[in-house]
Amino acid sequence: MIEISGVSKAYNRGAIKAVDGVNLTIRDGEIFGFLGPNGAGKTTLIKMITGILNADEGNIKINSKDIAQEPIEAKMQFGFVPDDPNIFARLTGLEYLNFMADMYNVSAGIRLERMQTLLQRFEMSGAAGDLIQSYSHGMRQKIMVIGAMLHNPPVWILDEPMTGLDPRSSYDLKEMMREHADAGNTVFFSTHVLDVAEKICDRLAIINKGKVILCGSMEEIHQHARENQSLENLFLEMTENV
Amino acid sequence: MFKFLALLKILLINTFGISALRYKASKNRLEYLKIIGLGLAITVGIAPTIAFYSKLLWDGYELLVPIGQQGAILTLGIVLVSSMIFFFGIFYVINLFYLAGDAQSLLALPLRGWQVLGARFTVVLCYEYLTELPFVLPPLIVFGIKSGASPLYWLYSLFGFILIPFLPLGLATIPTVILMRFANLGKRKDLFKILGGMIALVLAVGLQFVFQKLGPNAMDPAFVQNLLTDPNGLMNLISRVFPSTKYLGLALVNADKAAGLINLLLFTGLSLLAVILAWAVGDKLYFKGLVGSSETTARRKKLTNSDYKRLVTGSPALLSYCIKEIRLLIRTPIYFINCVLTNILVPVLLIIPFWLQSRNEQGPMPWDDLLTKPGGSTILLAVIVGVAIFLTATNAITATSLSREGKEFFISKYIPLAYKKQIQAKLLSGYIFGGLGSVLLLIAANVMIPLNLATNVTILAVSLVAIIPIIETGLLIDMLHPKLDWDNEQKAVKQNLNVIWAMLASILIGGCILYIVIRFFQDMATAATFMFGCFGLLALAIYYWLMTRGIKLYQQLEG
Repeated sequence: MIEISGVSKAYNRGAIKAVDGVNLTIRDGEIFGFLGPNGAGKTTLIKMITGILNADEGNIKINSKDIAQEPIEAKMQFGFVPDDPNIFARLTGLEYLNFMADMYNVSAGIRLERMQTLLQRFEMSGAAGDLIQSYSHGMRQKIMVIGAMLHNPPVWILDEPMTGLDPRSSYDLKEMMREHADAGNTVFFSTHVLDVAEKICDRLAIINKGKVILCGSMEEIHQHARENQSLENLFLEMTENV
Repeated sequence: MFKFLALLKILLINTFGISALRYKASKNRLEYLKIIGLGLAITVGIAPTIAFYSKLLWDGYELLVPIGQQGAILTLGIVLVSSMIFFFGIFYVINLFYLAGDAQSLLALPLRGWQVLGARFTVVLCYEYLTELPFVLPPLIVFGIKSGASPLYWLYSLFGFILIPFLPLGLATIPTVILMRFANLGKRKDLFKILGGMIALVLAVGLQFVFQKLGPNAMDPAFVQNLLTDPNGLMNLISRVFPSTKYLGLALVNADKAAGLINLLLFTGLSLLAVILAWAVGDKLYFKGLVGSSETTARRKKLTNSDYKRLVTGSPALLSYCIKEIRLLIRTPIYFINCVLTNILVPVLLIIPFWLQSRNEQGPMPWDDLLTKPGGSTILLAVIVGVAIFLTATNAITATSLSREGKEFFISKYIPLAYKKQIQAKLLSGYIFGGLGSVLLLIAANVMIPLNLATNVTILAVSLVAIIPIIETGLLIDMLHPKLDWDNEQKAVKQNLNVIWAMLASILIGGCILYIVIRFFQDMATAATFMFGCFGLLALAIYYWLMTRGIKLYQQLEG
């Protein structure tokens, strides 16, 4: 479970509010979609959840562990896929996975089994020994996803995870997200594409200009959109991006 | 030509961050003022050194007038800066022309080799003018004032100032462009880039050595007599390090005579020739060395069960983080050349000329009887430890430790590894290379002057402790203000002021302790104990800071 209470973040000495008083609870057993147009504040909030940015106000708990008070314990609870997979280009895929497994204290026996399973599932077995530099964008995205899943975290936090994935891998990832949530875990992911969210989310929130303007099931959101002109425009913006 | 100028303009704006500065001036005054303040602080910081240098030149001029050798102060400045431009020019050319992230971005544009190389060459030239300023301006001014020079002298000086970097930079470009064309042939391109860089450096130093050897033997009595009787003898001797500089020296000294103009024309001709040659070579070979240089070969070999068992191994998190640091340092050509190579190359470069010289001349070396003199072994200890400190400070591994992460810094923030352990891992990676440098340095010292086991052990032990506060200071400085916002790796290590601050701090720390040692200690054992204590206590104090305030600082940093 992820609990976000009154979280704000401003830049330029308060002139730009990137995230403004956000309250959200993402429950166990659900896939939660976090939507908004480009620059709405999605990535900033995700960075605060994962401890990359410090919140100016409010607090964030992951499975009851406060990211500011108990950072290591909180970080052990989740696996994170960043929106930019261009990292550690001069390590091989396996070196990267080994590094991540070391960071999350995954024992040698378990990591071997998980790596093999995940690499096969994402059709990356043939590339694991090569430098990440030689990977396509989609392959880099896949190796990030595998790295985030190695320690079998109860919470998945995925920032635009489908970007660059081929249809097959995208389908597999969605399946895995569903399986993970059905097993009582939490999946929190961001996207600016409404279509993706509509198909797999149990609930979703829409953020615009740093504020959560709507949160609920897809049905509830559609209902609100029909009643509210400005929301409909926002919807149009997101659906146009499909 | 229009395309060349357009490209040059955009590269200058981008490289020197002119648009970013303008943006800050209008949107973020505080940040803008900080940059201006920093510039002023650096100027004020180096002002005493410049004043001291100018005073030396002023006194030197008076000292040299009776023997008619005052022109030597001009050549000294010009030779010094030419050698620096040549040496650093190779680094700049490798880094900016080939390794920088944006090096290949221009390949898709309809430009010719000389246009791209020429524009980049000119950008480097601008950097070199900044390097040149503090070294050449004082001798030009001192000589001008003291000799009551004519307006023609000042005109020639301006001309000379502009031309000085042309030749050394041209000479640095030509072998590098040729080598990089061949480095781009193989499959392991990163490796070849690194090897190319190493060969270019060795070649450059070798060439300098040959230049020096071409001149007459400094101990030849006829040469010494000529040195003192020829009005420009001393100038000629100094300019042997960089022979072409003699022409500019002669042009300035004889500014009012026809010989001055002839020498200036000679210098101009040589300078332009070097640039034209470099650009011509660049037109033919630059793109060939660049196209596909970032390609990475991949085997795409399906791993077997035994491969997995061999490759999938677990390590403690701290060690794993440290290994990651080392792998990235070694595999990223810019980091390898700037951070790792200096550790290895400096001791090797120190040995070669001395070793060759001692073999050729078979005469006694000035330091041969050092160990028999009172306090000699203490001086030896201080010198070697001093060089070890300098080496560790210049490799900048910890001083760029956070900066090198750049946009990837967010990973350090979200992984569940305590900041304390991350700091320790970064220190450890710096220590491994610093320690390696110290060992190589000791080997180099033994080639020059054979030492007994006890002396070797003492020097190594003190060196290995002395580099700890240096490594820690580097990290401390980088933590205070890491340069995380860069678009190519070059900016993280070469255009990072933290490196300069860390070097200055290290020189201050090392300088103070070593001064006390040389000044007050005769016995090596006492000196070693004192150094051990001083550096050890300092190491503990900075470590305490890193583990308390440093951790908080790390926590506040945002990716």
